[in-house]
Amino acid sequence: MPAKGVQVPHGTDIRIEGVRLALGDDPPMPVLGGVDLHVPAGTVAAIVGPSGCGKSTLLDVVAGLAAPDAGSISGADSVALMPQRDALMPWLTLRANIALGAELASAPRDDVGRRADEAIARLGLTGFADHYPHALSGGMRQRAALARTLLAARPAWLLDEPFGALDALTRTGMHDVLRDLMREVRPTVLLVTHDIAEAVALADRVLVAGPRPMAIVADIDAGDGADPAHAADAVMSALRTAGALA
Amino acid sequence: MSRRRLRRLLPVLILPLLAIAAWQVAIWVAAPREWMLPSPAAVAGAGWEARERLWFHAQWTLMISVIALIISAAVGAALAYVIARSRMARLAIYPWVIVSQVIPLVALAPLLVLWLPPFAAILVLAVLMSIFPVIVAGVDGLGAAHPDLIRATRGLGASEGWTWMHVRVPAALPRLFTGLRMAAVFVVSGAVVGELVASDRGLGALTRLSAGQFETPLTFAAVVLLALIGLGLFGAIAVAERLALPWTRRPTRPRS
Ligand SMILES: Nc1ncnc2c1ncn2[C@@H]1O[C@H](COP(=O)(O)OP(=O)(O)O)[C@@H](O)[C@H]1O
Ligand SMILES: [Mg+2]
Repeated sequence: MPAKGVQVPHGTDIRIEGVRLALGDDPPMPVLGGVDLHVPAGTVAAIVGPSGCGKSTLLDVVAGLAAPDAGSISGADSVALMPQRDALMPWLTLRANIALGAELASAPRDDVGRRADEAIARLGLTGFADHYPHALSGGMRQRAALARTLLAARPAWLLDEPFGALDALTRTGMHDVLRDLMREVRPTVLLVTHDIAEAVALADRVLVAGPRPMAIVADIDAGDGADPAHAADAVMSALRTAGALA
Repeated sequence: MSRRRLRRLLPVLILPLLAIAAWQVAIWVAAPREWMLPSPAAVAGAGWEARERLWFHAQWTLMISVIALIISAAVGAALAYVIARSRMARLAIYPWVIVSQVIPLVALAPLLVLWLPPFAAILVLAVLMSIFPVIVAGVDGLGAAHPDLIRATRGLGASEGWTWMHVRVPAALPRLFTGLRMAAVFVVSGAVVGELVASDRGLGALTRLSAGQFETPLTFAAVVLLALIGLGLFGAIAVAERLALPWTRRPTRPRS
């Protein structure tokens, strides 16, 4: 179903150059050790790396929630960040949760409800709009979080292990949902995941992150022309070379 | 009433029934004078006979307790917000809020009576004795929002201030209500202490007057009424909580 009325502006590159950041005091621990990456407008890049290497921190920096010690980021106010798990407000119904996206995008007041209903239909949540999150399955909550991100109407999405909490079957279903949505809306996407198959299935490119302090150590083609099995092998061997596999 | 509800209610009555039975047995065995320890039946009889007098005093205590509880809720929640929001307030005010509870507040009653008109003195005492759990629960609640909820909204462009009003405050409500339920019980004690010292009206005053004249059955009846007022306020907060926080109710439908 076409998402009429759900509009996301096109054409923002995500460009990060030489980003360094140390966290904590005495002594500050370097978490980002000079990260360079470029995601051209409308493409999808996945970041795969060991846990604790600084991926969430990097997304915070790109979203403008944390200031880097050095380096440059372009387009902080054009990204929408979706954290791990669904992060829906338990006290709001699904519709109100989704509408938050439009409210935060300063949509005109009488437009918010209409946009929320469109996104609800688009993500197959009709009939569940008045439920509270705790009454819904993980997959449904994740769809709602995607709908909220969609309504934020930002041209770039930062997805932080969005399906990490789902069972394998639901996760595969959510891959289809996200792929359709991305094909239609054409956002620029930076997707963090620890699932190599997920990265290869969803992304045009897979960026491999080394252990903390984080840097990008490999950039692997996983687009439509690439062989998925071959791309997955390349990701594995890059992780091994970086010493990211225990 | 359905049989199931009856079966859920019965265990609640075990302890009071045992207590009344033990009380009655003590009367039979020790046969104390009625002004020392009246029998349960004597208390019930005296209570029924003096029902108008009891109601006159109960209204007063109930009114003071409700007003004081509303003040505690409003001022306590506001203070909790300021303490949670401002580092300066947390350092400058919060320790003293805690220290203030070390003072036996009952000992302040005579001073308050010295400084304030009786009604105000009783109100202040009831507020002082009930505001603490509201503040502590409020401060804890405001820090309890899951960091992902804040990250999710900040990451969609929400300001820090927006997340306070739309994430931290609603996330604090369940804990705040826990504090309010405690306050509902303490506020009655505060009102009674105030009335004992400063008033000729209210159930606290009635216990003083009746015990002074050896009308002990009436004293007991007043104490029972006080317990009922505390229970009633506690229940009222619980009902308000259910209405205000429909999302904390467990799902009625299996997850799909
Ligand atoms: N505020 C902070 N202060 C100190 N250390 C932090 C802070 N936030 C995160 N870290 C540390 O930074 C590292 C990277 O964290 P994170 O970006 O969440 O990793 P990832 O998302 O790749 O699993 C971790 O070792 C974590 O303990
Ligand atoms: Mg992470």
